[in-house]
Amino acid sequence: MTFVKLNVINLEKSEYKGGKSSLCPGCGHDQISNVIIQAAWENGLPPAGIAKMSGIGCSSKTPAYFLGKSHGFNTVHGRMPSVTTGASMVNKDLQFIAVSGDGDTASIGIGQFVHAIRRNLDMVYIIENNGVYGLTKGQYSATVEKGSKKKKSIANEQNPIDLCAMALNLGCSFVARSFSASKKQLTALIRAAMSHKGMAIIDVISPCVTFANNDESYRSYNYVKENDEVLHIVDYISNFSPIEEVDIPEGQYREIELFDGSKIILETLGSTHDTTDIVSALRAIHEAEKENKHVTGLLYYNGGMPTTTENLGLTETPLAKLSEEEGRPTLESLNEVNTRFRSL
Amino acid sequence: MSSNVNNFVINIATANGTGSQSANLVILQTMFDMGIPVSGKNLFPSNISGLPTWYIIRASESGYQAPGDKTDIQILMNKDTWDKDIAKLNPGAIIIYNEDVKLPIDRDDCILLGMPMTKMARKINPKMAKLMANMYYVGGLAHILGISLSDIERAISAQFKGKEVAIEKNMEAINQSLVYAVENWSTETDFSVEKRAKNPDTYLIEGNEATALGSIYGGINMLAWYPITPSSGVAEGVIKWIPELRMAKDGGNTCAVIQAEDELAAAGMVIGAGWAGGRGMTCTSGPGISLMSEFIGLAYFAEVPGVIWDVNRVGPSTGLPTRTQQGDLSMLYEASHGDTQHIVLIPGTVDECFEFGWRAFDYAEKYQTMVFGFSDLDLGMNKWSTEGFVYPDSPMDRGKVIHNQEELDAIPNYGRYRDVDGDGIPYRTLPGSGVDPILYRGTGHDEDGVYSEDPIVYQKTMERLRRKIEGARDDLPSPILREEENKEIGVIFYGSMENTITEIDDILEETGLSVSTCRVRALPYHSEVEEFISRHDRNIVLEMNRDGQLYGILRKELPVSLIGKLDSVAYSDGMPPRARLYAEKILIALEDEK
Repeated sequence: MTFVKLNVINLEKSEYKGGKSSLCPGCGHDQISNVIIQAAWENGLPPAGIAKMSGIGCSSKTPAYFLGKSHGFNTVHGRMPSVTTGASMVNKDLQFIAVSGDGDTASIGIGQFVHAIRRNLDMVYIIENNGVYGLTKGQYSATVEKGSKKKKSIANEQNPIDLCAMALNLGCSFVARSFSASKKQLTALIRAAMSHKGMAIIDVISPCVTFANNDESYRSYNYVKENDEVLHIVDYISNFSPIEEVDIPEGQYREIELFDGSKIILETLGSTHDTTDIVSALRAIHEAEKENKHVTGLLYYNGGMPTTTENLGLTETPLAKLSEEEGRPTLESLNEVNTRFRSL
Repeated sequence: MSSNVNNFVINIATANGTGSQSANLVILQTMFDMGIPVSGKNLFPSNISGLPTWYIIRASESGYQAPGDKTDIQILMNKDTWDKDIAKLNPGAIIIYNEDVKLPIDRDDCILLGMPMTKMARKINPKMAKLMANMYYVGGLAHILGISLSDIERAISAQFKGKEVAIEKNMEAINQSLVYAVENWSTETDFSVEKRAKNPDTYLIEGNEATALGSIYGGINMLAWYPITPSSGVAEGVIKWIPELRMAKDGGNTCAVIQAEDELAAAGMVIGAGWAGGRGMTCTSGPGISLMSEFIGLAYFAEVPGVIWDVNRVGPSTGLPTRTQQGDLSMLYEASHGDTQHIVLIPGTVDECFEFGWRAFDYAEKYQTMVFGFSDLDLGMNKWSTEGFVYPDSPMDRGKVIHNQEELDAIPNYGRYRDVDGDGIPYRTLPGSGVDPILYRGTGHDEDGVYSEDPIVYQKTMERLRRKIEGARDDLPSPILREEENKEIGVIFYGSMENTITEIDDILEETGLSVSTCRVRALPYHSEVEEFISRHDRNIVLEMNRDGQLYGILRKELPVSLIGKLDSVAYSDGMPPRARLYAEKILIALEDEK
């Protein structure tokens, strides 16, 4: 008899797996896919209730490689947030896990990124950020740092767009940055994002092994490992097994309760960063940037912001599941409407 | 024209933003309520304040609703267009003008009726003199046409409902102007009104609001929109009626409204809603369709339902944003890259705006595709008469949706994109159901929805999609035919041309021609259209664009043997169609062919 490990809803981890990846061997995106599988399994999310969303690009192909029992939509380039918005409006009970890239989000899709944040759409928005357009063979993207150099080319000379700083300025309710190879940190952050109600942005540095894994690239494995400014150690404690999963640190730590009753514990490592303070988060980003480093961890969290569906005052039943009587007003009402246009 | 009773055209020239629209609507509503067959057209600029605007009111005992070919009564309020407005008038026209503009009128051949409108208005309310001045031409018109004060008062009360001071002040102004006209103007004029018996259940409504109400009764779950003239009224109509018509028992509403960041996002939201099993819609105009085109291809290829209303304005580019045209038809029919074909519903009346408003969702879900409603500025933004909207006569068609495993198991050899029933329409499952989860995609896919670049798989998918939309042809609204015994000339037209066709037909028949008409109400066009063409010796395809867009579609899809029977009369200058102008172009086309 073999021992099978089950999660809180009695599913094996294999229930959360997807198809075989067609990305380059060693791609950071595959690491992230594995973490998404792990996080969804550990959190005990029912696969049927998840909707996987993506745009176009290497990263946006990955929903085929995780959560094979969940519906998904690989939409068009840069427009994943709008499709997610529409789906969320008619079925607010779906758990949206979205994957995008730096080309998809920071260039063609930056408008939709911005407005999805403004609306505090209830979704997990993961950016697999490698600084290049992989699928079209390695052009620089808008997030690549000034001075960073990919394998074949001169160094980038334009200023980068920092998606976390942007999200902070837009009032995003959950902003984090991580590294695809930091499995523990990334798992905790994605699990926390899944427990959050509202927009959760996780910008994940995810090296492109084919076009930008050379040491002069600020997004290569070696470079990020050596220049990762870790803000704190993040631990996630689920609402269903609060004591088993993590040792409570003895030193300084902060505890944050998430929407679904689960918690995250941030072991501060001596950093003075305050996750409730946007200015503190922006300072951490800009100070790391000055030294060509990457700051990782939970940058900002605000659990109290209403989501779009809450602001709209929608009825409790997801709109897609309304009956005909609930969706079509009565004959009597139409007769009354008709008379309203009569002035006499 | 035999009589000038209830037969005349009033042209009111004002500047945008001076509040003249209230005065214009009071005149229109007063005459409508008196049972006079009347129509109103607002010719407005792309501007909030200052640029010239005209309002044309036509009374026609024959029920003609086109703007008319000449002006009988000209109201002059705007100094910027003063000379041009005067120059256009035929001898004998009546000119009612605001003396306070202090510009000369050098027309001995017209009847000049001046009034110091601004000065008089200033006495009633100095701050509002500019706005109030418009009410003086209402009184002046009432005097020369013989409209009673009590008839106007009813329309004023409706226009300013609940604002007692405004009602009182406006009535005072109208009263004063009537007295002034009696004392200073001659009483003899050629034009007059006479009350007519009228069905009390006739109403005036804008096409855009009719479309909005149609979608409300069609069970719209999500409206995503980006403001653009002339379509915004559709969105505003939906927003206006949700609180009254679409609240659930728990007090929450059953239609989400999102003002999107642009038209691309609005289209994406419609697709997201359709994918998740809801009824999503957006409304826009030509520039918006251009932006949405990529997404429209996704909906076609991934087979996601959704509804887009295009209220056509003049293109290309920003074009004439406040003028009307039928210039988007071919774009809608084949929007997006690659081979595509879309269902387009084309209302010609406000009743059809309502009907196609709800039917669009049924077609979209039945055929799992994007469905367009095609209206235009003239139909959408002007008020038209209706006898009341008719309640949907069939339950909602939610299409082939599999809700649970049991339903799935009942379908042999199921695949998301497999044509199980032979009609080209596959079955689908919804996110959240857990049944047959697949990753939707705009990339090539096989019958199970799995990524594929296989040449045969792609080619077969495209053939099935063609078969699917082809299959809708005779399921879509059939054309409205008005046929003569003698099948000499057939005029094929669509959309808001409906409101001018009777007059065009009358002008043509005055020349001795026998003219049948066929109003196309959907694309792909119904087989009855083809039969109509084959029955008639000569067919004119009449439309408000430069290139003859429906003509082009017919030429592409009709059997070669029928193409020789077709002629195109396509003309567009941004104005609502004037009957004589189009009738003359038809006559020229018939002449050329001989």
